[in-house]
Amino acid sequence: MKGKYIRLLRYFKPHLGMLFLCMVLVLIAIGAELINPYIVKMVIDDYIVGQKPDFHMGLMSLSYFGVVMLSGILSYAQTFLLNRMGQGIMHRIRMELFGHIQNLPMGFFDQNSSGRILTRVSNDIEALSEMFSGVLINLFKDVFLILGILYVMFSLSTRLALISLSVVPVLALVTWFYNQRARKNYKWVRSLIASINGFLAENFSGMKIVQIFNLQKAKFKEFTELNSEYNRAGRMEVILMALFKPGTELVNNLAVSILVWACIGSVFNGVLEIGVVFAFVTYVKKFFAPISDLADKYNVILSGSVSAERIFELLDVQEGKEDLDRGEPLPATRGAIEFRHVWFAYKDKDWVLRDVSFRVEPGQTVALVGATGSGKSTIINLISRYYEIQKGQILLDGVDIRTFRLRDLRRRIAVVMQEVFLFAGDIKSNIRLNEEDISLETVQEAASLVNADEFIRALPDGYDEEVKERGCTLSAGERQLLSFARALAFDPSILVLDEATATIDTETECIIQNSLKAASRGRTTLVIAHRLSTIREADQIIVIHKGRIRETGRHNELLEQGGIYKNLHDMQFCRSGGILSFQGVCGEGSALDSFS
Amino acid sequence: MILKLILGEFLHSSRKQYAIGILALIASCILQILLPKLLGGAMDMLRDQDVSVERVVLQVIMMIALALFMSGLKFVWRTYIQGKARDLDCYLRSRLFAHLQTLPVRFYHNRKTGDLMAYAINDLGALKSAFSFGIVFLIDGILINLLAVGTMFRTIDPVLTLLAIVPVLLAGTAVVWIKPRIRSRFTRVQEAFANISDKVQENISGIRVVKGFVQEEKETARLKEASLERSAAQMNYVRLSAVLSPIVSLCFGASFAVSMILGAGYVIRGRITLGDYLAFNTYLGMLQTPVNHMGKIVETWQKAMASIRRLDEIFLTGNDIRDPEHAGGTPRIDQGIAVRDLSFSYPGSSREALSGISFELKAGQTLGITGDTGSGKSTLVSLLLRLYNVERGRILIDGIDINDIPAKELRELIGFVPQDNFLFSTTIKDNIRAFDDAFSDEDIEEAARRAEVHGNIAEFPEQYETVIGERGIMLSGGQRQRISIARAIIRDPRLLVLDDSLSAVDTRTEEQILGSIREILRDRTGILIAHRISTLKNADRILVLDKGRLLEQGSHDELMAAGGKYYRLYMSQTQESEVYREEREEREEREEPV
Repeated sequence: MKGKYIRLLRYFKPHLGMLFLCMVLVLIAIGAELINPYIVKMVIDDYIVGQKPDFHMGLMSLSYFGVVMLSGILSYAQTFLLNRMGQGIMHRIRMELFGHIQNLPMGFFDQNSSGRILTRVSNDIEALSEMFSGVLINLFKDVFLILGILYVMFSLSTRLALISLSVVPVLALVTWFYNQRARKNYKWVRSLIASINGFLAENFSGMKIVQIFNLQKAKFKEFTELNSEYNRAGRMEVILMALFKPGTELVNNLAVSILVWACIGSVFNGVLEIGVVFAFVTYVKKFFAPISDLADKYNVILSGSVSAERIFELLDVQEGKEDLDRGEPLPATRGAIEFRHVWFAYKDKDWVLRDVSFRVEPGQTVALVGATGSGKSTIINLISRYYEIQKGQILLDGVDIRTFRLRDLRRRIAVVMQEVFLFAGDIKSNIRLNEEDISLETVQEAASLVNADEFIRALPDGYDEEVKERGCTLSAGERQLLSFARALAFDPSILVLDEATATIDTETECIIQNSLKAASRGRTTLVIAHRLSTIREADQIIVIHKGRIRETGRHNELLEQGGIYKNLHDMQFCRSGGILSFQGVCGEGSALDSFS
Repeated sequence: MILKLILGEFLHSSRKQYAIGILALIASCILQILLPKLLGGAMDMLRDQDVSVERVVLQVIMMIALALFMSGLKFVWRTYIQGKARDLDCYLRSRLFAHLQTLPVRFYHNRKTGDLMAYAINDLGALKSAFSFGIVFLIDGILINLLAVGTMFRTIDPVLTLLAIVPVLLAGTAVVWIKPRIRSRFTRVQEAFANISDKVQENISGIRVVKGFVQEEKETARLKEASLERSAAQMNYVRLSAVLSPIVSLCFGASFAVSMILGAGYVIRGRITLGDYLAFNTYLGMLQTPVNHMGKIVETWQKAMASIRRLDEIFLTGNDIRDPEHAGGTPRIDQGIAVRDLSFSYPGSSREALSGISFELKAGQTLGITGDTGSGKSTLVSLLLRLYNVERGRILIDGIDINDIPAKELRELIGFVPQDNFLFSTTIKDNIRAFDDAFSDEDIEEAARRAEVHGNIAEFPEQYETVIGERGIMLSGGQRQRISIARAIIRDPRLLVLDDSLSAVDTRTEEQILGSIREILRDRTGILIAHRISTLKNADRILVLDKGRLLEQGSHDELMAAGGKYYRLYMSQTQESEVYREEREEREEREEPV
């Protein structure tokens, strides 16, 4: 619990100079704030009561205004500087956190929902920033103000100072009581808000089910229960505040009254000047104001510190963190891939791959065939080292891939996934991503190679066309073509294709088939295939079943072998005497025509 | 409009509490104005030879009594006015939710859950603020100003009072002038924040691409831009907002500096007492707080008005699926369902989701529907459930037009298994019985058995009391599907509809479930929608939809013989089931590495 504050303080280290400057400013501003009641005291005692002849009333008035001006300017400067420092720190934490997340392994993203990660980077940092700019900055000032007031009061009159402070224990008690209850209540309120929001979100997204099953009444009842409990908690919050705020005010007024009481006689006797009494009244009020404000700031501090805790917790996740630059450089590769007795499980010993061994020669096209869940996609994930294998070795050009720098390894491999992800931005930035040094020509070249150029040019703004809402305005096929172009623009040595299926109509499928052929020319290519027609020409076909390699060979060899592959092939192609070949269904020309 | 009615209703029903709260608020303001006068009087007494000690003590006791009474009043108005604001918040949330429950599925189709949440969180929150400190600061600010100025004018000195009014007006104008500018800068801060959220969200959703193309550093650089923009926006905001409080202080400081000379002269010349002079100083200080709050009051009410407009939009949205005025009788689905020349477009879309569909389903028979994504399969079911109005063409159930059957009665006849297998985050038991206490534990278990999920549930430590969802157990897609099947069949529906509900289970489980579904469907009518032909090939009749049109219909054998789209779909899909068949034959052994 304490650790997070110390850790938070560490971020102030580069700003120590600024912090020092701010402190000086604060001290001067507080000084100014403390001088004014004293000026009033002098006016009363020396001018009005004492009627000293050499008293310059005009000068006093001018200096009073001067002090107000000075304290205004200083508090502005101080707010500005502290905010700038705060923003600097928030920026650093945010970047540190985001950079950290970028290098967390794939497994982390499998286990944590994107909403949760997002909350850390956006809302939690915002809560921290709120705590900083809204509260800490004032807190800093308040502490020094209280110290300053104490100093002035004691130097004016020790007796009156002690009398004024006599109520402080009462105040401390009231504040303590309030904090105890408020903290508990705050947690109650927060958890109820979370429940209500969760309930609403669930019901909004499941309203169809609610209505189909006529659950409106049952759900409304559940909601009413939650809502009225939230009301109770909220009312408790109001009552606590209604006790605390007027309570501190009462203590404040009590202090003033006691002060007046204590002065009975001493003013008249000339022991005490009336101006001092009035100055004390002013100081006492200034003394209590920050404490009363504390109640308002309390919730902000609480939620800020909870956020800090969660942020640090995420920053502490080190398991499997990737280091892009560790290892040998891999400037070029021939593209020879070998799996040697690879065993892999995402969790414990639920083996997804069991003793998988195969070789892919440079430039070959290899097809992976098997049912959903057989382990095809896992093999693809492992080549890019998204996950670490438990047993065996994966070799690239005869060297274990773990020896290479991750950065180089992944740049040599391009994966085209079944589910295409498009970023906000234009078409060209979706092809070259953030790599500005991939020229526009390269982008266009890649696009025309996969037959995407045509549809892109048909868009109103061509390559500069904005991709809206993650590409919803584009068809599934067009999105797939963009992701092919993306892969080629990065000029990989190894191309991995997780073939897109069912949702795409036959014509687009044909274009994609042709694009695929173009893309794989001169590269080692791994294809996950669902339609056997696409893999007939593969140099090698690997049939995977339940995490094991069951058959390997060329199309004809496997057919002769008469195993799983033959079975699949027969099912798909040879029925009622006709052969269904997609290459036969559409010629290249006609497909392109119908596409545009 | 409706919201105004509700506000009227709410305010009317709690007018007593509001009366008490506002009276207490006014009284506390008056006491607050009296206090400086008492203190000033005490100060004068301290200097006065002729005043007895008892008189001063009495004055002090009066001060204490006044302070006590004032704090009491403050407690009262806080609990009444702010407490009522909480009640209003809950009341409106409840009304909002009740209203949202009546809105048709179409309404939810067009809106993101997040946007709807914003109504419940931000807009209700804005109203709550307006009705708690929005009201209090407004009344308090006006009263304090009027009373303080009035007291100063009457009991202290008119000239000094004028000096006090000038800064109030000056600072007030400055605040009202600057505040909207601050707000527009704050909007930029919020936009910058939203931008960061969008970027991070995108990055996390596309993390595979980011990692695959080694874009981590470039992505970090991109976020850095957004993050710096956020800081810049904040500083831009602070630069102006930090000016506000010094400006107010400066106005009052100037006035104070002048009144100090003037007032001191008055005291010396005996025009006012020293106590008056001190009270004047206190009043001047008291005026400063409401002026500081002025901008916030205006902002709070503006926000509340905007929220009222937004909420009105929702409250004014009605349900266009109205129950018929003359119910056409309650069907039992013992004759069948007939669809005649049915066409449908989603509201706001020109594309026909269904065009000219006609078919018949006899009671007791099972209908299969297949087709690509977007071919209209789910639309057809939505119409059958009356989630949308049937406008072109007709759907007849037992010869009764579907538009003449009350939605509730119609839906009670149908057991529906949705595509997304939506379950509530509560116990498995409550999910299966759909919060209906009429079902006994035996009924629930029986339904679970028939849906082939009892075995799974029995393995959980808390069995049927196991909570599903983020705060409980995460179920696999197949388990979710089977629980939602149990939920559909426990109601013993006349018509069972499965909307592509078996896609997430493997073929073996699918076959088990299909077996029991066949059993369930023996004496009732069924509609099976599926992408996978294996799911529906045993149906009595199969429809093949394509882009909203009915392409082919017939039994499995008829469609296979026709050699059309159905045949092609079947052919391309059989490879996977073949692999599974092979898998079943194989003995399962758990292998470990050597």
